[in-house]
Amino acid sequence: MSVGSLNLERVSDQPLTLDAALTDEAVLSTYRRMFAALARDSGAVVDDPALVDIAETLFAAFAEAGEEWLTHEQMRFACRTYPADQFDNRLRVLKGLGAIREVFPKPNQLRYRASFTSVVGLMFIRRMMDDGGQSEMHRLLALEDLNVADPRTTMEEARQSAANMARAFRLWALELVTLTTGTIEELREQAPKLWGTEEIARRAQGLHATILTRWPELDRVCTDLRAAIYAYSDASRRAAGRLADSAGTTRNLTLLPTETWRTFTQTASPERLAAVLDGFVFDAPAPWHDPAAIARAVDEAPRPVPAQPTPPRSALPDPGPGSSLDGSADAALERLTAVAESLLGEASRVALADVLGRDWPSARRMLADLTTVDLRPELPYRLAWSDELSIDPDREPAWLSHGYLERT
Amino acid sequence: MAPANGPHRSSHPEPTATGAATSAAGGTSTAVGDANTSAGGAVTAEGRATATAGGAIAAAGGAIIGARGPLAAAEVAVAHVWARAAGPVRLGAGVAAPGGMVRLTRPDSTGEALPVWPDGVTPSLLEEHQVAPVTVERSGETRRVLAAALKCCWSDQQADPWPGDPAPVELVLDTYRALIGRTDDLMRNWAIGALRRLHDSAWVVLGDGVVSLGPRCALWPEESHAQLRELVRRLPEPQRPELTVVRDADIVAAARPAEPAPGAGADGGGRVEAAAGEFDDLLAGHDERRRAELVAAFMVVEHAAEPVQEVRFAALRDPALRRTLAEMLSRRGRTLIQHRDRWTSGYDDDVARAAYASGEERLSVSERAVLALVLVHSVAIPRAEGLLPEDSWLSPHPTPVEELRRHTQLPIGELEAALRTLRHAGLLGQVKAGEEAGGYVPGPQFHRLTPAARRRLQEELILAAGPNTPLAAAVLARRSAR
Repeated sequence: MSVGSLNLERVSDQPLTLDAALTDEAVLSTYRRMFAALARDSGAVVDDPALVDIAETLFAAFAEAGEEWLTHEQMRFACRTYPADQFDNRLRVLKGLGAIREVFPKPNQLRYRASFTSVVGLMFIRRMMDDGGQSEMHRLLALEDLNVADPRTTMEEARQSAANMARAFRLWALELVTLTTGTIEELREQAPKLWGTEEIARRAQGLHATILTRWPELDRVCTDLRAAIYAYSDASRRAAGRLADSAGTTRNLTLLPTETWRTFTQTASPERLAAVLDGFVFDAPAPWHDPAAIARAVDEAPRPVPAQPTPPRSALPDPGPGSSLDGSADAALERLTAVAESLLGEASRVALADVLGRDWPSARRMLADLTTVDLRPELPYRLAWSDELSIDPDREPAWLSHGYLERT
Repeated sequence: MAPANGPHRSSHPEPTATGAATSAAGGTSTAVGDANTSAGGAVTAEGRATATAGGAIAAAGGAIIGARGPLAAAEVAVAHVWARAAGPVRLGAGVAAPGGMVRLTRPDSTGEALPVWPDGVTPSLLEEHQVAPVTVERSGETRRVLAAALKCCWSDQQADPWPGDPAPVELVLDTYRALIGRTDDLMRNWAIGALRRLHDSAWVVLGDGVVSLGPRCALWPEESHAQLRELVRRLPEPQRPELTVVRDADIVAAARPAEPAPGAGADGGGRVEAAAGEFDDLLAGHDERRRAELVAAFMVVEHAAEPVQEVRFAALRDPALRRTLAEMLSRRGRTLIQHRDRWTSGYDDDVARAAYASGEERLSVSERAVLALVLVHSVAIPRAEGLLPEDSWLSPHPTPVEELRRHTQLPIGELEAALRTLRHAGLLGQVKAGEEAGGYVPGPQFHRLTPAARRRLQEELILAAGPNTPLAAAVLARRSAR
């Protein structure tokens, strides 16, 4: 598979950010380092972390299938989220190396099974990825401890074991030393995976003591081992020291994993938590209540709502204003007819200028009534307006358009 | 009611406070006889409990200056740190107040000392410069309760408000009730909560069933007394039934110690002795304008909630003035702290260490534990997850209350009380978001940690959470090398 097509693939499902690329590169470099001892040439390790995911998905599918085994189609289905070419590539390699084999070795075999060794290997790889081998070292030390305590173990085996341990610690220490002199970013990234906790040092020293007590003649190898352990502890401390010095005022908090912090908050006693703040001086509450602010607060107090007294009522029976208004349509028509008739009298047509009063308030009431009359088709009166307009500043209204009320 | 009820711990859970508060408020006839004999002894007998109560009484049990003669500059700075960290400082009989502090002298010539501000300004200066002061929790309610207490305690209005006369808690509550026109239990609980907060900040002294004005009331400037008189005049008189079981005067008399015990804060009487101007030599060399700028900058860095912008204050912009400002602060055990182009002030590391060594722990174990938990959840964990880019102890990631309630070793009652105290002191900020979300973040006080203090806090957390890691070993190695 070409690198170009790989990139295209990735662009399609998520943007290839610099961060993502860096993370991938870090994962790949760990893979390369782990299998350097087994690789035939330097290009033999996967160039995309997704390829390992395919293998893991396949193994999970095999575990699910049990004795049914899996056909090629079923394998493809299990890995349906991955592109076909990546899947084929993986399957070819896995088959070639024997991680996936035919159930029975005969031609045209359609069903496959997974190799137990490869599955375990993959588990190991994942663990190594998580903590850079710290927990492996723990396990290894625990196993070696058991081994050297076993009465069947020979001196030669113990020598071998001590020598291996010494070598591992030395290499680990060397890596840390290199990191310590390198860039602070790389140190921050890598060191916490590599440096040993006191636990590891203690276990290693326990192992060393067991070997030395049982086979005093191995003191030479043990001295080597002891030196390696010390060198490793020292390198760990130095790397941590450089980080502690270089960081800001909260940056080092990143160097403990989230889980450690969570465990601390959940399990620590109040006294242990409180001890963190021993020696810190904080301000006592001392708000300032200015007289003006107090006065303002009093002014803004939610006022008691005074009970609102009902207005005084007359002792006499009061039917209210309801009956004084006759709401019926007939009454309104009658009133309007009366108004019109009183203006017209006997005449069939009367000029408005003659009937309007001298004061505007009564004139405008009159005009309103007449307009209503005009707009009521059932009443036999109409207003007729002419274009004439007389203006007389001494009179009220001073502007008067000429019009007539007519009987129809 | 227990005879030795003593001063209140501030950590009573407020919602259930009615019972406790009633017993503190006294007003029952049985209380009077006992109180006569116990009230005097309570303050002195419960040394430790009193000391941790915060505020006026706290300092009475904590920092005591007994030495005669003028204090050295370093001692004055330490005294100022005490006053800021634990409230008013208690003075032995006849002992002069440290420079820059007003002396509130009792009839027996003991007293309390409180810092005052240069040139007669008060923190209300911040308002003129439009800088937000530290927020007061439920400020309106708290100030109205203070007004009610003032009305009840300031009996002789020709004199200064402080010291005034003690008044029964019930009278203060009745006055407050008349002011807001509500009589329900909720109002009563809120008012008692406000009284307790005022007690913690030394604005009132809650004694055995009585309230008196706290030392901070002596800091109201002379020219504002007319405004206070007018305010007290405006407050409505409480409507009280004529015949209470015990007359107010008897409650007050009962709460008064039989013979004046030293440092009994509830006792009336006393006078204010003005502070010696501590900055005069520094300020004298500057003209009026510069002097005002220096004082303004001093007030904002000391009292603003957040660091203030350099460009807004001449005394922060100008290096020469800033030097004078730093000198003023250092006389009070303070130092300037820079956050990029913003400034605030904090305790000077050396002075704080000296003050811590000689004073008493002010925060209780559960309060410090809760604070540490919030620091881990809001700062350490987001940082470890790469969510908090800023190198700071403030954080936008709230610690959910549920997390504190469910997944820690703290009893819930202590947790709630501690959260309230820490919030009140500005050590925690509450973030509200919807029904479930929200929680607590480190409060504005964390702006005031010096870089050395911030680094030490980080180291202490690492030592506590991962004591066996090489990182902890490196921290210890570095400390022992120093």
